[in-house]
Amino acid sequence: MPEVSKMKKPDVKVVILGDTSVGKTSLLHRYTERKFRDTISTVGGAFYLKQWGPYNISIWDTAGREQFHGLGSMYCRGAAAIILTYDVTNWQSLAEIEERFLSLTDTANNDCIYAIVGNKADLTDPQAQLTVATDGLTDDQGEGGEQRMKLQVPPACPTPPASPASPSSLLKQVGHDEATALYGRILRYKGLDEKSSLPADRMCFETSAKTGYNVDALFETLFDLVLPSILRKRNENQWSPTVDLEDYREANGKRRGCC
Amino acid sequence: MEDPAEPPLPGPTAVEQSATLEAEPNQNADPETEESEDVDVSAQSADIVPDEANGNNGNNGTDCSGEFVVTMLARSNLEEQAVGTEGTSSPLSEDIAEEAPPLQSHRDEDVMAESWRQHRKHVFVLSEAGKPIYSRYGSEEALSSTMGVMMALVSFVQSGDNMIRSVYSEEHTVVFLQKGPLVLVCVSNSRQSEQQLRAELLYVYYQIISMLTQASIARIFEHKKNYDLRRLLAGSEKILDGLLNLVDWDPSFLLAAVHCLPLPSSLRDSLSQTLQKAITPNLVFSILIAKNQLVTIVQEKTVIEDARLEPADVHLLLNLIGASSAFQAGEIWTPICLPLFNPDCYFYAYISYLDPPECTVCLLLLSTDKEAFYAVAECKRRIEEAMVAQNSLSLIAKAQSYSVSQVGVSDLRHFMYKPFDVPDNHHQLTQFTSPEMEAPYSSDEEKMRLLDLYRYMHSRIHSSSRPLKLIYHVAERETLLAWVTSKFELYTCFSPLVTKACAITAITKLLRWIKKEEDRLFIRYPPKYSTTPNPSKSSRKSEQQDSTDNGFMSLL
Repeated sequence: MPEVSKMKKPDVKVVILGDTSVGKTSLLHRYTERKFRDTISTVGGAFYLKQWGPYNISIWDTAGREQFHGLGSMYCRGAAAIILTYDVTNWQSLAEIEERFLSLTDTANNDCIYAIVGNKADLTDPQAQLTVATDGLTDDQGEGGEQRMKLQVPPACPTPPASPASPSSLLKQVGHDEATALYGRILRYKGLDEKSSLPADRMCFETSAKTGYNVDALFETLFDLVLPSILRKRNENQWSPTVDLEDYREANGKRRGCC
Repeated sequence: MEDPAEPPLPGPTAVEQSATLEAEPNQNADPETEESEDVDVSAQSADIVPDEANGNNGNNGTDCSGEFVVTMLARSNLEEQAVGTEGTSSPLSEDIAEEAPPLQSHRDEDVMAESWRQHRKHVFVLSEAGKPIYSRYGSEEALSSTMGVMMALVSFVQSGDNMIRSVYSEEHTVVFLQKGPLVLVCVSNSRQSEQQLRAELLYVYYQIISMLTQASIARIFEHKKNYDLRRLLAGSEKILDGLLNLVDWDPSFLLAAVHCLPLPSSLRDSLSQTLQKAITPNLVFSILIAKNQLVTIVQEKTVIEDARLEPADVHLLLNLIGASSAFQAGEIWTPICLPLFNPDCYFYAYISYLDPPECTVCLLLLSTDKEAFYAVAECKRRIEEAMVAQNSLSLIAKAQSYSVSQVGVSDLRHFMYKPFDVPDNHHQLTQFTSPEMEAPYSSDEEKMRLLDLYRYMHSRIHSSSRPLKLIYHVAERETLLAWVTSKFELYTCFSPLVTKACAITAITKLLRWIKKEEDRLFIRYPPKYSTTPNPSKSSRKSEQQDSTDNGFMSLL
């Protein structure tokens, strides 16, 4: 069934990084499968291909465990966008982004864009608990060219809003300001000029994989932002001195009639 | 697999003789008293356990210098803290009910509760500094004092240049395993033998190694004695939970053999060929799994000359796949160490399901190259294409485990047959075959009861103090016969009314049936491929070995 899309070569790479248990897999799962499910700690990294309009976007969902640290730079190589994820109820998870994950992004593209994402917003923010209803609407708009990932709307009620975890007991440990400050530091680390880069308020998100709050907005914003990168890559490919054996479809199609 | 039908040739009388010879004490003793101990008679466990203890005590005391067994029948400090012996209700029936829903998280359990104490089998992992690393039930933090006591016991015995191996109490067996800087402890009331429990701890150790490698664990603790290894294992608890669950329910672990999916040999061969063709440099193993059973395995030939793939490594891989199946649409790329193959190095495993969304057929490709993801993923595409062309997926979907009724022997309820490494010129993965567990072993309680009976038979056969070749065991609700020869190991379960002569005839028939079906039941000749234009340093061997292999290859 999915062969058609699987044969396609990814045009661009997006990587999700962040500490263990911040909800990286859940975010991706919410976006692609439209539901929230308890996940098991990811081993290594998981590769997904997402069709976005005419483009194929590869998404690497990485393990947050230190155990797999060594692989991080491999996953990030050539990435066009990196989602740095933390848990809004866990200050340490924000600190880990700087301590452990930032250095992994050295292998990413020079023009790589960074998003800072505070997940589990439903635990601290009443607004994030309420978006369940509207989520369904935005879903459909977002599903545009999707083929590979099936739209699976849960039959009855989509995730009971913020059930047992008693939100009152969980204090928000990371504010939006701290996230934007981190964004600024990342730009400086990358030697990027703040004025010519994407503004922090556009690249810092608070999401809830559980309720779906802001999840589509996050991925769709990023995908739109990496489009120029895709186009440039396709252009470059035509000039590429390296023969790419797999890429017979698009870029090199003209030159290789045989396939 | 040459002739499993041959051994019975000596005929029933000869077999019976050997039965009386080898298993004499059991035969002569009143079967009801000595042998028919059963689930709900908890008093008898007390008879058996100290008995085993004494046996081991004598044995280990004399044989293994520098190691001894502490036999403690009184309630020790440890017990008060960790074990608890108050629960007098049937150890089995209750715990099975609790364990039945597999992969449930027990992290949040109250470690002071009686229900915690009554778990059938606890497993703890701690560092030599006494730092908790893993507990099967309850959180490690809550158990730090308990683990401290365990470490105190270990180091107390160690200070006398000895090694603590086990502690026996009325209802519990406590087994210790020290591996490098890790100490593993099992507290069990399952009445398994110490040997079996230690083998299970070893699986736990290997699973940890498979995630971190032995070398890196050693390095970490050399560097920092009181390192908290949970930092590196955080998130892996479920993999260990899953392993312990499998160890309890899947006899593959007990038999140290791999269970493969019965499949017409023509289909298996064509699948093997498909895997054999889809290769890329540095690919070393291609493994196809369906319904958690092995379908076929193709190996890189120069690598496999260095070391064979052990069943335990395959078990760890299968457990890893089971534990990472939560999000099945993606393609996983992860480092993994096969501890028996090489405890210090990583392979890179590509894991992908071929039949989403059902996710029963899984392809596992192991490479030695960290960067090979895209090349290996391309192999998967080719395999997938070939399988679609041959309609293999639907054929695999039809394959099933078989029913014991197909053997056509009345009174035979279940069996496990493990042939030993037969084509001698070739190191083969040890396998076993076993039918579906059917009525009366359909409920979880009954399944576990049968597994426990098998474990008991296994412990008698493999007893270090008094190993047996054949044992005929009349239990309350069934009769079991276990038999080990140089060619195979066999466990059978009959209805309780079977006679000894009947059972022996039945086994002869069973062995003939297996011989007839062996092409379907086993992977006979695991094929190989060569992918090493630049073989990894260790995997070069003499040329003559190569040529014998080529000879073998041409036979395929």
